[in-house]
Amino acid sequence: MKTNFLKLAAVLGLIMFWLVLGGCGESRSPFAGTYRSLEPFAGKNFAELELKENGKGTWTLAGKTMAEFTWVVNDGKPWFYLKTGGILIATPTEGGKVLSVDTTGDWHPGCPPGSCVLFKRVQKGG
Amino acid sequence: MEDKPKTPSAEETGGLKLCELGQEVVIPAGSRVVSQGETPEFFYVIQSGRLRVFRETADRIQTNLTELGPGAYFGEVALVTGQPRSASVETLTEARLIKVSQVEFDRLLDQNPKLARHIINQLANWLVTGDSRLEKEVVHQVKLRQISWFDYALMVGLSIIFGVVFNLYNDNKIPLIYGWGEKADIREITLSNAEELYKQNQAIFIDARKSAFFDQKHLKGAMNLPLILFDLMYPMFQFTLEQTPGAKDKTTIVYGGSFSRRFDIELARLLKSKGLDKVAVLGDYSGWQKAFPVEERPPKEGASISLGLAGLLEWLPLSIFLLILIPPIRRSPYLAVAGRLLLGAIFISFALSKILRPAVFALNTVDYGMMPSFGVNLWALALPWAELVVGLFLVLGIRTRAAATLIGAMNVIFIVGLVWAILHHLPINCGCVGEVGEPVNWWKVLKNTGMLVMTIQIFLYDRFFVLDRGGFTLRDRTI
Repeated sequence: MKTNFLKLAAVLGLIMFWLVLGGCGESRSPFAGTYRSLEPFAGKNFAELELKENGKGTWTLAGKTMAEFTWVVNDGKPWFYLKTGGILIATPTEGGKVLSVDTTGDWHPGCPPGSCVLFKRVQKGG
Repeated sequence: MEDKPKTPSAEETGGLKLCELGQEVVIPAGSRVVSQGETPEFFYVIQSGRLRVFRETADRIQTNLTELGPGAYFGEVALVTGQPRSASVETLTEARLIKVSQVEFDRLLDQNPKLARHIINQLANWLVTGDSRLEKEVVHQVKLRQISWFDYALMVGLSIIFGVVFNLYNDNKIPLIYGWGEKADIREITLSNAEELYKQNQAIFIDARKSAFFDQKHLKGAMNLPLILFDLMYPMFQFTLEQTPGAKDKTTIVYGGSFSRRFDIELARLLKSKGLDKVAVLGDYSGWQKAFPVEERPPKEGASISLGLAGLLEWLPLSIFLLILIPPIRRSPYLAVAGRLLLGAIFISFALSKILRPAVFALNTVDYGMMPSFGVNLWALALPWAELVVGLFLVLGIRTRAAATLIGAMNVIFIVGLVWAILHHLPINCGCVGEVGEPVNWWKVLKNTGMLVMTIQIFLYDRFFVLDRGGFTLRDRTI
């Protein structure tokens, strides 16, 4: 019976290992930092994007926080998870210095006119 | 055969020593001395070594009956009854045996009533203990096959409790019941009134759905303001309104096209909270498609992200369609174990990708347009935990029949949803894994059907490596 419990414990251990391993994604470091939109957003001020190493992020406009989100890196692209359930995918260019954010929430992010915000990194790290 | 073997004494055999009969043979370890079903010819007495007595079914499932050592004997049952061998005997170590032919055995019994009585006594004991063993085994099997409502209540209850409690501490928590306690403070506008305003250019139509739905088909001239991106997109929307002459005086009509009314009513509330006075929702949630001119675009290819290991595993259940064509494999408990591990791995993996962000999964559920608004959040909270709990039960072999039933039921729901989405050309991903998952297509339906067949196979034939009411059952059983 003791052997059986050891086997059960081994299976549980493997599952826990798998869960922990599954929770680790790609490194956020290459994209962590503060970004500013290349052009004024919605005819107002520049939008700012702050991506912290701990996976938290904010989108601010004219000093006002428009959205707080968590973010991860999937397949080399930062994904922003909004609390409302929306997801935005940013496409990095220039080695991650510029992020193109498709605000339509399209899974194949492009840069459609009126729905695309280009951000340039102004400070690295977070 | 008996549990506590004892060599018949010379007195019991009527003064004859067994070693004076028959012939001595040496059998190497791992050899079969007697095979179940064969015609009996000899009676054996063990001088040295150990032997295993077991029964074997047609599909090679072995049940150990006992082990015999020096002094024990076997083979007498078939010689006395004249029936084929009732069990097989195999040497565990090299064994030295005395092999007595049927003629010698019969002569021995005829001439020695004491020995005959001894053997009859042993057979009677064996029958009595056999009955007891049989009863124990039947009880065990009944317990093993038993499914009670408690099993289902346990798994469903655990899933709901885990889902609700985890939600309390989750950064991405969602309300248990969407819209609970909120007042119906948004005016509804009838289709005909909306049509009138549309013709007079006195209304701004806002589509609250995700952009993929909007792109596929929307009311001509409508703007898309997806509810899920409201915080970010509202400044842009406001800017557009400011650029539109006379926009302030127009009625803002929100439509969502969804049975759950999840998007339109909530978006109308948010717009109202931002200071827009004349906000209404379209009363007939899907009527705009026929009443208004629409703009349509061909649906885009469904997006997906790599599912990694889980994505590869998900193809394996398709093999079940071939395996069930081979009868011995179809009934194999080993296949059931493999199926349990596979389904468990798939469901655990899929559950983990959804648990942290219930809001995303809730909206994926809304996309199917099959569930009323009040049930979506509870579903989104409980289902991933149900997948995890039931997946773990399958892997660990706990209440596997009930767990298989629940996984099967989930698969039936998924299949219905997928077929619905395909037939209605919904521009969605399945939402099965995390936020994106796989495209909705017939392959996905087939994979789920494979998993459903697997659950049936587990339900019918699973019996190894299970921890159930009867205790833990390994491959070989000693009764």
